Amino acid sequence: MTLRRLFALSSLAFLIVLAFSPVKNALRPYRALQRQFRLVGIARASSGKAAEAYSSRPIAIQQVWIPELNNRVDRCTTCHLGVVDAAMTTATEPFRTHPPTFHTPRDVQRFGCTACHGGEGLATDQADAHGTSADATSPILPADLIEAGCGRCHDAEAVRDAPTLSAGRALMTKSNCFACHKARGHEDFRADAPPLETLSMKTGAEWLRRWLSNPKAVDANATMPNFQLTGDDIKVLSHYLFARPVPPQLQHAIELAGAEPNGDSARGKTLFAESRCISCHTVGGKGNGSAPELGTIASRASRGWLIAFVRDPHAFYPQTKMPRYSFTDADVRDIVAWFEDELKDFDAPANILTPLRVNQTFAEKGEKLFKSAGCFACHSGVKEGERFGPDLYGIGDRKATSLDFGKLTDLPRTLAGWLDAKITTPRSFASGLKMPTFAFDAAQKRAIVTALLAMPATAVPDAYHSSPVQQAAIVPAGPVGEIMTRYRCLSCHQIGRAGGDISTAPLTFEGSKVNHDWLVNYLAVPYSIRPIIAERMPVLKVSKEEAGRLADAIAMIYVDPSTPDDPFLGRPASDHDAAEGERLYTTFGCRSCHIIGKIGGYYGPPLTETKARLKPGWVFRFLQNPQRWRADVRCPNYGMTDTDALRLTAYLETLAEAPAVPVAAAAPARKEAAK
Amino acid sequence: MRRRNLLIASVLLLVATSCRRANRPASAVAIPRPTQYELRLGKEVYQSYCIGCHGDSGAGDGFNAFNLDPHPRDLSDPVFQKGKSNAELADAVRRGGAGVGLTSLMPPWGHTLDDRHIDAVVLYIRSMRR
Repeated sequence: MTLRRLFALSSLAFLIVLAFSPVKNALRPYRALQRQFRLVGIARASSGKAAEAYSSRPIAIQQVWIPELNNRVDRCTTCHLGVVDAAMTTATEPFRTHPPTFHTPRDVQRFGCTACHGGEGLATDQADAHGTSADATSPILPADLIEAGCGRCHDAEAVRDAPTLSAGRALMTKSNCFACHKARGHEDFRADAPPLETLSMKTGAEWLRRWLSNPKAVDANATMPNFQLTGDDIKVLSHYLFARPVPPQLQHAIELAGAEPNGDSARGKTLFAESRCISCHTVGGKGNGSAPELGTIASRASRGWLIAFVRDPHAFYPQTKMPRYSFTDADVRDIVAWFEDELKDFDAPANILTPLRVNQTFAEKGEKLFKSAGCFACHSGVKEGERFGPDLYGIGDRKATSLDFGKLTDLPRTLAGWLDAKITTPRSFASGLKMPTFAFDAAQKRAIVTALLAMPATAVPDAYHSSPVQQAAIVPAGPVGEIMTRYRCLSCHQIGRAGGDISTAPLTFEGSKVNHDWLVNYLAVPYSIRPIIAERMPVLKVSKEEAGRLADAIAMIYVDPSTPDDPFLGRPASDHDAAEGERLYTTFGCRSCHIIGKIGGYYGPPLTETKARLKPGWVFRFLQNPQRWRADVRCPNYGMTDTDALRLTAYLETLAEAPAVPVAAAAPARKEAAK
Repeated sequence: MRRRNLLIASVLLLVATSCRRANRPASAVAIPRPTQYELRLGKEVYQSYCIGCHGDSGAGDGFNAFNLDPHPRDLSDPVFQKGKSNAELADAVRRGGAGVGLTSLMPPWGHTLDDRHIDAVVLYIRSMRR
């Protein structure tokens, strides 16, 4: 009897245990959500048929399975039921339609969800799927860092539609992060910090002390971070830097320049303005800011050094972006005379440029510190494959539990939070850490964290990889190449995919664009083609002979095979065509951006001298598709017919007035505006 | 089984349709505001192509505006915003001023920007309402 009772009881217990699993399954949150989705769908359905489709949706786990993308299984759509449902654009989460992006909705079946968003694809409850715990292998990316997902497949520095990621990558390169840290794709990175050999003849102990204690406080454009050096560190480093031998030719050049008579300061001021130095430098914060601030330059460098440097910057600093202007000796003397008169720190002590008397013991200590603090990583280059700091391989996939938070107990235990603290106050984690402090603002930090989270532990399969087309700029060898290197054309202009971004005019097809004779004159005496842009082509004092050689080479090398020399070949333009073109100029509203004569806007280049400047074949091709020239050209594509494009070209080619440089005062100069 | 499903569906449909009218104002309030993320593409497009004439805040005071007669539209004007549907705004961006019977000084962007960019910039213009 007791046995029987026991049996009955244990059977009952067994049944309860057995029932546990189906009951648990029936109570899982996604089932309630799916039932709720049916109701939301029915309420939003546009027809009875659609409503029925919603009501007959099975209550079951949904998934996207992508064997070719590391056998990914994403069950996110089990709860996020409206991801590709256009009726759900205004629904609340988790049912809301995915906002349209380049890849959604069209690539959902190809990528799934977690490839971009992170998260645990297999999980079907919210906490596990979103990876909210510290030991989650793949926590979901927060919305403000979502572009990290783009970077896992897209390798290029600039990724379209991902401005935060692109900014972060550019900032990491500019800040020389890869000089110390190894990262995929940056193995060959070389920092271009200036060599320090002539420092002892350039500046004084006091200036160096100020610089080493906080470079950004001395020069807002400084790339060098703050190494938080102690007074002793700065002392020994200064002794080491002042003890370094100056190469004999440079020493000679600096000494000779220092002994030259004073120049004409007023002429120097004019020359400085004419030369458009602030297309890269700043004076009192005004200018492009990609090169040092010159507002207190005469309290930063000695007169002899400045004269010798401006005459031949490449001898001092081979990697510099600064062109070697064809100034006369007197020109440079005059410019530096103006620096000495006005671009000075008038509050600085008199000894700011007094050199240090070297103590050999300190200098030896300083040499050790130069190595142990990592200064060499940017200033002397590093050996192949050797980096001073830890690798960044796979940093974007580090589990939060594997990170050393050190003394920082109040930080959120997330990878993003850890990275943010690392780039804000790198040395607060523990004592003895060596990473310097960068002065990034909140947006810059977000961009860098995005770029770091985009560094996966395992690369995506090749079929999903999007690598940039590596295309080196074609710069001819021989004398023309030397001229182009001397004037550092590529510091501002792009050729192909290489080069700087200061200029809005790529040189890739320059030979097909401008007339040879116009170019010779322009190179000799450049003027402002786009009145609203602050960065203008510097007056490099190119000689007529050099200008001729450059123009010859450009006309031969930098040509677009699909641009016709003569668009009117076989269909000559008549006066009627030009008149029709003039009418089209009005119909299309071109004058809202372009000036002809005295009428028109300041957005695009004035067209008054089109005949002298632009080749008709290029004008014709440009009008057909302006963005073909450069993707970010602002001139809209009017989708005009070939006939209209030809007529407009015929009209523009009648415009042959002398260039009337518009008064800039009427239109305040805008940076970026027409880029 | 099928019959039961149909029954449930029709009951649900009935309930839903009866709820619909009552729910309308509530769901209109519940429309989520676009997030910064959703606005970012539109902001990028606006700052690339529109800001020169329409200005930073959409007030029609861009640096190029002083040249233009008629003056660029004040996009932040609530009356203007209320009077135009998203489709009308997108159409004006796509076909330009001349395309919608206004001045040709506003160019057509339909061949330069794709639908996604145009929809994004309309969403951003909506966020500029004063």
